[in-house]
Amino acid sequence: MAQIYPIGGGKGGVGKTFITASLGALLAKSGKKVVLIDLDLGGSNLHTVLGINDQQGGINRFLDKTVKNLENMAVPTVIQNLFFISSSLCSMEIANLFHAHKLKIINAIQKLAFDYILLDLGTGTNFNTLDFFLTSNQGIFICTPEPTAIENSFRFIKAVYLRKLKHIVKQHSFHSAVKKAVIHPNHEAVTSPDIIEIVLKHDPDREMFLRNRLSGFKFKFILNQFRKNLDATIGDKIEDLCNRHFYSNFQFLGNVGYDVRIHDSVLSKKVFIHKYPYAPPAIDIKKIAEKIINTRSFIPVTG
Amino acid sequence: MKNFEGLNYYEILKIPANSTSFEIKRAYQDALSIYNEDSLVTYSLFSNEERGNLLNTVKEAYSTLIDENKRAAYDTILLDSGQIEMSITSIQNQKTPPHAHTSHMTDRDTVEERVRKKSRKKEVETLSNEILSRDLISGDDLKKMREAAGIELSEINAVTKITVTVLKSMEENRIEGLPPKLYLKNFLRHYAEILQIDSQKVIDGYLKHISSVQKK
Ligand SMILES: Nc1ncnc2c1ncn2[C@@H]1O[C@H](COP(=O)(O)OP(=O)(O)OP(=O)(O)O)[C@@H](O)[C@H]1O
Ligand SMILES: [Mg+2]
Repeated sequence: MAQIYPIGGGKGGVGKTFITASLGALLAKSGKKVVLIDLDLGGSNLHTVLGINDQQGGINRFLDKTVKNLENMAVPTVIQNLFFISSSLCSMEIANLFHAHKLKIINAIQKLAFDYILLDLGTGTNFNTLDFFLTSNQGIFICTPEPTAIENSFRFIKAVYLRKLKHIVKQHSFHSAVKKAVIHPNHEAVTSPDIIEIVLKHDPDREMFLRNRLSGFKFKFILNQFRKNLDATIGDKIEDLCNRHFYSNFQFLGNVGYDVRIHDSVLSKKVFIHKYPYAPPAIDIKKIAEKIINTRSFIPVTG
Repeated sequence: MKNFEGLNYYEILKIPANSTSFEIKRAYQDALSIYNEDSLVTYSLFSNEERGNLLNTVKEAYSTLIDENKRAAYDTILLDSGQIEMSITSIQNQKTPPHAHTSHMTDRDTVEERVRKKSRKKEVETLSNEILSRDLISGDDLKKMREAAGIELSEINAVTKITVTVLKSMEENRIEGLPPKLYLKNFLRHYAEILQIDSQKVIDGYLKHISSVQKK
């Protein structure tokens, strides 16, 4: 079974695309068959980081049905075992993807035959991004050690968490009052505690089930552009804190150092990891790749 | 989001039950650095109210564990409810362990049973029948029933893990110290169960009382 890792995070420019490319490259170098999918619809640039001059298209041809199988859109890269599916030629309107199209993409991704599937997501917390993040029962969010990025990450986590909660209620049997509150809420801003409160009131026996389902979702995260003078324990602290205060599971994967050469290698369209395999950030990401390979695929606890 | 529900003071400070006072102080500083307003790692995660409640609980954990007498009393309760074992507590190092009988120490039911028994007295029943017949139930009413039964707040904390600060806020009708409604209801239910009174009446009566206070 493929391991799917959506890679997101609320803030722009934190390094989602860079980490997707680098992590994919290192997983491929250790012998895994990997595909990177650009799902930053309307803002795609993963092909540039990979040094690919994309003329062929990818997801657009799958959606307009000129190609039946998404797998056929995976093109090779300069790195052996590393493949890429583009969305750069998707039309401008694609950013507001139809619901049916979104489901079609998610379904096709879940059927791809690779060891690892990494999804490069866009910035923000719109429904497409959140639903792509929920393609799997695990996801990686990228953050930088700054208040603004941390603020956006927490907003992103809360949005994913709420969306997950709603999915669970929609997909399983719950009291009609609970369903109604989720599908046709009386007011706009329904929060996660609101929903849990409604469940406690109308469907108390299902609360445990809901908690178990939430705890089956694994958030992993990376602190990127980490500078030496910072407190190296921030990541562990955030992990611990989130595990205490959310029902889902959190794992800190590691810091990735700041390096000006990353920017330069993007400018020269070279894959950073390939060009500077011994640079500190390359070593940092290698450790993260090893961590990911060593995590056994887990079976979610369901009620 | 959840608060410190279900954690005892040692767990809140993330230290083992046999910690030295030096370790407790350090753990307290660490916890403050995480939950304080200017902390980077909790930046924007909590509302001011949530943060205030969490900090209060951290402070309460510290002031209990750093005080030898309070800590020994607290440890006894944890021992009785089976949350810690005799061999790892600080009590062990004292000359006379406050709790010589170890026969029932890992039995959580025992402490619950013992606390519950207290509320089975006739006069408690008369008082609670009278209070429950009212439309509004205040924190003072809760306190009266609890005191009539001779139950300590620390005992309620041992069984339900609701922190003493929150229990006090409930009894003193301090709205700003109360948890979100969802938790409050749950807490009221636990509280009522210990006193063995109708929990639905307690929840309804207390919430009505609170909202009548807020309107003023
Ligand atoms: N560890 C790092 N050290 C130095 N520069 C970095 C690092 N990681 C990323 N960058 C640079 O930061 C910029 C943004 O990176 P990237 O495009 O990967 O972010 P993103 O999160 O995908 O952005 P967007 O929200 O636009 O998709 C790039 O110029 C990249 O080269
Ligand atoms: Mg990007």
